[in-house]
Order: sequence, then C-alpha cells, then structure tokens
Amino acid sequence: MRHFRRKASGPLVAIVFWTVASLITLFPVYWMFAVSAKSRVQLFGSPSFLISSFFTENYLSTLSDPAFQRYMTNSIVIATSNALLVTALALLATYALSRYKLPGKENLFFWTITNRMAPPAVFLLPLFLLYTQVFVVADVKLFDTKIGLILLYCVFNLPFAIWTLRGVIDGIPKELDEAAFVDGANTWQVLTQVILPLAKPGLAVTGILTWVFAWNEYLFAATLTSVNARTITTGLAEFVTVTGTNWGRMAATAMLTLVPALLVLGLAQRHIVAGLTFGAVKE
Amino acid sequence: MAPVTITNVRKRYGSAEVIHGVSVNIEDGEFVILVGPSGCGKSTLLRMVAGLEEISSGDVRIGGKVVNDRPPKDRDIAMVFQNYALYPHMTVYDNMSFSLRLKRRPVSEIDSKVRHAASILDLEKLLDRYPRQLSGGQRQRVAMGRAIVRDPQVFLFDEPLSNLDAKLRVQMRAEIKELHQRLKTTTIYVTHDQIEAMTMADKIVVMHDGVVEQIGAPLELYDRPKNLFVAGFIGSPAMNFIEGQVSAVNGQPAMTTDDGVVLPVSVPRALLQTGQRLVYGIRPEHITLGEGGPAAHVSVIEPTGSETQVFMKLGSNPLVGVFRERIALHPGERLGIRLDPGKAHLFDKTSGQRLA
Repeated sequence: MRHFRRKASGPLVAIVFWTVASLITLFPVYWMFAVSAKSRVQLFGSPSFLISSFFTENYLSTLSDPAFQRYMTNSIVIATSNALLVTALALLATYALSRYKLPGKENLFFWTITNRMAPPAVFLLPLFLLYTQVFVVADVKLFDTKIGLILLYCVFNLPFAIWTLRGVIDGIPKELDEAAFVDGANTWQVLTQVILPLAKPGLAVTGILTWVFAWNEYLFAATLTSVNARTITTGLAEFVTVTGTNWGRMAATAMLTLVPALLVLGLAQRHIVAGLTFGAVKE
Repeated sequence: MAPVTITNVRKRYGSAEVIHGVSVNIEDGEFVILVGPSGCGKSTLLRMVAGLEEISSGDVRIGGKVVNDRPPKDRDIAMVFQNYALYPHMTVYDNMSFSLRLKRRPVSEIDSKVRHAASILDLEKLLDRYPRQLSGGQRQRVAMGRAIVRDPQVFLFDEPLSNLDAKLRVQMRAEIKELHQRLKTTTIYVTHDQIEAMTMADKIVVMHDGVVEQIGAPLELYDRPKNLFVAGFIGSPAMNFIEGQVSAVNGQPAMTTDDGVVLPVSVPRALLQTGQRLVYGIRPEHITLGEGGPAAHVSVIEPTGSETQVFMKLGSNPLVGVFRERIALHPGERLGIRLDPGKAHLFDKTSGQRLA
C-alpha cells in the first residue's frame, strides 16, 4: 500500500517541482516582456508586473530602426557562419582524431582546449592590437569586420566543439566505415554518407551551442567592432546613455533578439534524436 | 569468381609480429575457412585480404593480380562483418543498394539486383524496414544481401554467426553453405568454431599464434592431424591425450604411460627411439568397451539421448569416451576399455609433430 502511494505521488511532486522551476526561470523573461509592452509613463507612473494595455511603439520603432536592422543582420550572419564553420571543421578534426593513427593525437586533442583555460578578457588587448595593427593588408583590417568576429569565435568555439564531437564520432562503430570502404566508398563518401547522418544529433548540439555563444557574446564584439560589424548585444548596451536608459526600447530589442535564437533552437532540435545508431552493430 | 593466393604474408604492429609468413592457396569457387583460437591472427589475415589492414610483407593476389596496395573498393570483394555493420540510417533496401549507388549503376539495374538478392535471402518483406526493426538473424541476412548484390569475385566472412543464438547459428550455417553452392563464389570465412569449420568448408586452414598449423579438407584434418595443436583443436569432444614413453612388448613397439599402463602402437619401429617421450592421442568415439584392455574408472556420465559421454580416468590420465549405446554406469565404477592402435594418433612430445 505504502509502495503504491509513493508511486502515485511521484509524478505529482515532479509536476509541482518543474512548474515552480519553470516559473522561476521564465519570470525574468516575462518581466522583460512586461517592460517592453509599456510606455515610459506606464513604466514609472504605477510600477506593476501586470500588463494593462499593450504599448506597441517600443516594438515598431525598434523594427524600423536601421541600426537595429543592421545589428540584427550582423548577429545572424556572424552567429550562423560561425556555427556552420565550427561544426564543419570540428567534424573533420574529430573524424581524423577518431579514425587515424596520428602520432601524439591524444596530446593534440588535449591541447586544443588550452586556449579556453585563460579568462577571455586576458586576450582582449592582444587581440585588439592584432586586429588593428598586425593583421592589416593595405587598407583591409580585421577590426570592425564580420569575418574578424567569425574567425575569432571559431578560435574560441572549435576546442569546445572538438571535445563535444569526439565522443559522438568515437561512438559510431568503426565497422560502418569499413563496411562502406568495402562497398566501394572513398573517405569523403564515408564521411558524408555514413558518418554525417549518424553524427547529426551531436552536430546539432554543437551547432546550437556555438551559435548561442556567438549570439550572446558581448566582450569581443564590443571591443573589436565600431560601426559596421556591431552585433545586437552591443546594440542593447547602446540604450544605456549618459542622459538615461530607454528601458522600453531596450526590453523590446531584447525580446526581438530571442526570436532568431528560438527559431535556431527549434530547427536544430528536430535533429537531436537519441539512439540513432541503434541496430547498426550487435552491442 | 577468382582464385586468391596468399604468399608469405606477415603483419607487424611496430616491433611485434602477429602473422609470421602465412601462405594459403584458395582455388576459384572454393569455400575456405580460417579457424583457430582467439588471437591467432585469422581475422587480421582476412582483413588484409579485404584491404582493411596493411600487409607488412608478402603478397595477396586476387584473380592473379597483386592487390597489396589497392584500397578495398578496388579489390572487388564483399565482406560480412561479425557485428553486421549495417548502416542504421538506411532502410534494408538502401543498405543493400549502397554499393551499387556508389558505382552509379542505373536505377533499374539496382532495383532488379536488390530484389533478386532479397528473394534469395527471403528479405522481400523487410526491404522498407530499418536495421533497428530487425532481429539478429534478419540483420545477418541483410549483411549477406549487401554482399550478394555486389556479385563480387570473393566473399569474406568475419565470424558472421558468433552473435547469433545456437539454433539460429545452425540454420544460418546451412543457409550460407547453400548460398555458396548456388553462387559458387570464392569464399574466405573466419571462425573460431571448429564445428562451423568442419561442416561448411571445402578446405580448412588451422591457425595458431600467427602461423598456419595445417591446411586440408575437414576429414583429412580430423583423421590425420599433423600436430598436437590441430589434433586437440579439431573435434568435439576433443581428442584424448595420454603421455608416456616408448617401450616394447613381445618385440612389438608400445607406449608405457607414466602410471605404467602399456598401450600397443602401430607405428613402424624405425620411427621410434627407446625412451622417447610420446603423446598418444585417441578420439572419444574410438574408445570401445570390452575386457582385455586397460581398466579405467568412471568419474562422470553425461547421457545426451543420442549418445553417452563418459568421463573416466586411466591411471592419472583423464579420458572422454563417446558411446552410441546407452550404458548403465555409475561414478567410481571400473570400466574395461579398448583403445584400437589402428585408430590412435602418435605424436612426439618434444616437437608436437605426428609420427606416422
């Protein structure tokens, strides 16, 4: 009887726990939404968490602002290019690390992570000098360019992506490669037709996480760009000025930056299917 | 179809050599089984034929051409792996057609070949399924189907049945043999199971510690094993071995065991030296009941229905006898046995080689 009661109350406790946890997690987002939906007068006149009428002006002015459009486009281009480049390079790197007998490959694998061991701020000044003074060909600099940020984020994300994907590629039985080789495939065909489809869940996770990193990154974006390559995170900071902060516009911008992130997450999530290799080889 | 010739092939990993100069001739259309205990190098040898392992020295020829440096895809072989190695993201149809699609064959040709192979293997109803939706035996058949559609010069099987349960293994054994009789493609098959080797092969290659111990037809190996290893490996229950030394009884050569039991032998005297250490081998079914021979003591009786296995001791030597008749025996009982000298195998203890 006691056993039965414990079993029955289990889901209820879980439901209550996760509901409370979700509310706590989502509350700041709601708060932000509430701020974005109010005019300055509503916001400071009678502060409340409730939304009595929706003030659309914050959203309309944000969407029609050319600076916002540019920042948003930059962020999407930078984050997406970074995610694609990092995932592709990490796939090639981990396939080589997993399948080939390379002298010292375990050392190589370990040392890829070392550039994540120091706080990113440490690299700020050297990178600023490199981008403005050293990596300069004629008039072309990496400073304030999208490609500059994409490459930089690659440097920071690749080690992490390699560490994530290593386990995924190692988990794909080597016999599948061998079967494909015997079936007449070359290395590229093995990679694209056997490994890639099977590594999809891992690639999707890697892609999402690197995309989110680039999407949210502020420190380097603020330091290594000025006008052309500014991203949305730096744009948000621009609402804080010496004359005051436009909270409504800032919250509306922040809400709008959530949209692409949710879309990417939704798209990538479809590929995260556990147990895809089940049935490949007898375990 | 093509003959395969393996000439003095060696495999080294760094300074460690695991295959020490193996040579095997496989005729066109022959079914050859490489058999031996784990770690004897049989799978490595097969993988060298497939092109999945580099050959350290020696030659592998398929259809008369040296293929040492050719990648697997240019060797015109098909391989069935121990753990099936089916592509999990592809249906049975796609798994079977993968090699033909890589070769960019016309769709109609691919379809007819896949359906033909599926009909041979009774897979027609499973073509739309994924490997995860199949049973072990069905997956094994798909793996074979994938090999058949290629219509290769040589089939390579790497312990294909070891993941199946006992009943299915017997069934698949017959299916593979039937398939070979039908297709007549040269086949190299690796197993550690000597029963599989005995029942399926045209020719068996017994390997041990990276060398070939003996090559021959199944019954040839059974009847005339070249050395102690082959004698002990082929046959189930295994051959009984009794140690002793050369002696003479009434002028006739014999072997006296360390317990003083005298066993007559039928080996020409010239092959024996007085005091030479010998191993006397006798298969369990060649022990007969009857007085006039040595006496053994029964330790365990195992009736299987069709036969009775009797574990006994002759002096301090354990022996196993297999008898077709159902005999009523009890542990500890004295049992008069006869060992037919004509059926016995005599080996030199030091070299392990057969004497005659």
